Amino acid sequence: MNLLKKVFLVDLFQGLWVTFRNQNPKFIYTEQYPAERPKVAERYRGAPRLNVNPENGETLCIACNLCALACPEALIVVTSERNEETRRKELTTFTYDTSRCMFCGLCEDACPVDALELTQDFELATYTREGQIWDRQMLEEGPKPTPYRC
Amino acid sequence: MADEQKPDGPQASPPGGAAKPAPPKPAAAAAGHAAPPKPPAVMAATPWDSELARELKERFGERIRETSTYLGQNFIVCQPDAAVAIVEYLKLEADFDYLVDITAVDWPKRAERFDLVYILYSFARNERIRIKTYINDGDRPQSAVRVHATANWLEREVFDMFGIEFAGHPDLRRILLPEEWDGHPLRKDYGIIQQDQRWVRENLNIESGQ
Amino acid sequence: MPDATFLDSTELVLNMGPQHPSTHGVLRVILKLDGEKVLGTECVIGYLHRGVEKIAENRTYAQFNPYVDRMDYVAAVSNGLGYCLAVEKLLNVEAPPRAQAVRVILTELNRIASHLLWLGTHALDIGAITPVFYCFREREEALKIFEKYCGARLTTHAFRIGGLQYETYDGFEQDIRAFCDMFLPKVDEYEELLTNNRIWVGRLKGIGVLTADECKEYGVTGPVLRAAGVKWDLRKAQPYSGYDKYEFDIPTGRNADTYDRYLVRMEEMRQSVRIMRQAVAGLPEGPIMGKVGKVIKPAVGEAYVSIEAPKGELGYYVVSDGSTQPYRVRVRPPSFVNLQSLDRMVSGGLVADVVAIIGTLDIVLGEVDR
Repeated sequence: MNLLKKVFLVDLFQGLWVTFRNQNPKFIYTEQYPAERPKVAERYRGAPRLNVNPENGETLCIACNLCALACPEALIVVTSERNEETRRKELTTFTYDTSRCMFCGLCEDACPVDALELTQDFELATYTREGQIWDRQMLEEGPKPTPYRC
Repeated sequence: MADEQKPDGPQASPPGGAAKPAPPKPAAAAAGHAAPPKPPAVMAATPWDSELARELKERFGERIRETSTYLGQNFIVCQPDAAVAIVEYLKLEADFDYLVDITAVDWPKRAERFDLVYILYSFARNERIRIKTYINDGDRPQSAVRVHATANWLEREVFDMFGIEFAGHPDLRRILLPEEWDGHPLRKDYGIIQQDQRWVRENLNIESGQ
Repeated sequence: MPDATFLDSTELVLNMGPQHPSTHGVLRVILKLDGEKVLGTECVIGYLHRGVEKIAENRTYAQFNPYVDRMDYVAAVSNGLGYCLAVEKLLNVEAPPRAQAVRVILTELNRIASHLLWLGTHALDIGAITPVFYCFREREEALKIFEKYCGARLTTHAFRIGGLQYETYDGFEQDIRAFCDMFLPKVDEYEELLTNNRIWVGRLKGIGVLTADECKEYGVTGPVLRAAGVKWDLRKAQPYSGYDKYEFDIPTGRNADTYDRYLVRMEEMRQSVRIMRQAVAGLPEGPIMGKVGKVIKPAVGEAYVSIEAPKGELGYYVVSDGSTQPYRVRVRPPSFVNLQSLDRMVSGGLVADVVAIIGTLDIVLGEVDR
């Protein structure tokens, strides 16, 4: 580097100019969470949800157990009983352990009727370990995080 | 060890031919015995013949048990004492100057328990080759450290996970697990959630890691 | 007055412990120092060992797919690509051309994201605090695309055995083009900040030299090998997933020191953009999943497939015994093998350079320990 550039710190000022350029307020991209919650993508793999038929309120799950078989961690437990009139299986309990879930989406991919779905909810914190094990009701309603107002 | 490709199983029914669904075990049915057990499935490897394979066979003769290829990937099976000699020969004479990996596979039901696999690559030839040997539990194969310096940590990991000790290794200790751990996890008789409870109790002061 | 011999120091053993901001994970380096000169080092690893290879023996092929993301967690897509290619090799199927093209796009985006994280943390270790913010700002854009495509930013699980699960979302091509257009000037911005900066040059030039012969001896691959002058890249030498269709250069260095590795990685980011542009321009139509049955049960056999991950040669050696669960999955991690050469590079240098050299090797402890 020639002597003038060396003495007058030209390269250092070049770098400093980049930093000063970025001080422009239009470049601020900090998200003010929890005041503004980030918009996640449509395919985001967040909290699981058991879908319910909007017309009659019945669960869409047919208790085929495919999701439980697909899960790498084997954390889904599906129990069902046979309905003698329609001669079909009906879902009784559905347990999902979110503490061990890695949100890989294999259960969602396996479900043939789109009953089990990973939604865009990402606020799944609980105060107890037991609270992380979701039963059917929790799965149908979804987590209800406390909205904070700053 | 049945590594050569066997012809299709002894119960193959005659192709086309008999329209009736004849039981495909003619001799056994006639004799009235139970059906002979199916042979264990083996890798459908085909023999590999090339200049390199011929050179190796010429140089090492009987110590190379087979040279095969499967899915386009060449490998040779050799006697345990010849493995490092072959690796060295390949490095010096055949330009295989890069040791990609050393690993092992545990076949507990087989007579020779472990498969020790060396994977080499040649920059000049742009070719990869696998060298496999079968060793028993308790055998101490020669270490490849003096040929390739990469082998140092790779052999330490094989020792850590499988318990295969390498003779001549400068620093054979556990690498991924703590020094005082008992047991070699990647062996098939080691459970998936098994832990060295003694180590956990002594070092972490908890009853169990689960 | 104390005797001058009181100051005669013997070897000092300094523990650069597992909890350290600059070791890129839980890496313990035991340094033997004579004043400021490093006499020798010893790496103690295994703090992040989770037994991934053992887990593989207890899951089916498709169930193991999410686990491989967690090894090299900054570049999860490459891990998934290597595993899927290895199992596809065993099954003797090939993903259809559209799936291959999308895989290339996502893998190159992943390479950019990995190099951005490398640049940010490397600069941060050396003392330049600004680049990390800019690099993470760009990385955020790349992660947004991953999120829109497969639903997760970091542990993507983007590929499946045989192809892809998800069709590209509406606006995928526009997003990739916009990212490429936005990103190239940013690389120039990073270069403006660092390349000619006398402090940067002073801290990086001539440090951590690992010549080509030493690299081959230690089995070091990736940008470290390319900075030593060896023009070798698995994407060109043994192309996979359709890489032979795209035109790109392999940057190499001359002096095999830390500064050259920095330049090689910057240029690799530009070449990745080039590949992405070509792939998006020629994205073929067609199915996204190859002919793979519902149950994946390869024939008895074994295969070793390796790819050019951002950190080096990432290889998967999968042994199948004919059942639905792999018999053995061996992961050949580039960071593990590269880390072996740390002792060679550091010995004889100054203790302040240890941090720069760990950074230039670009290791991720998730991959070193598995």
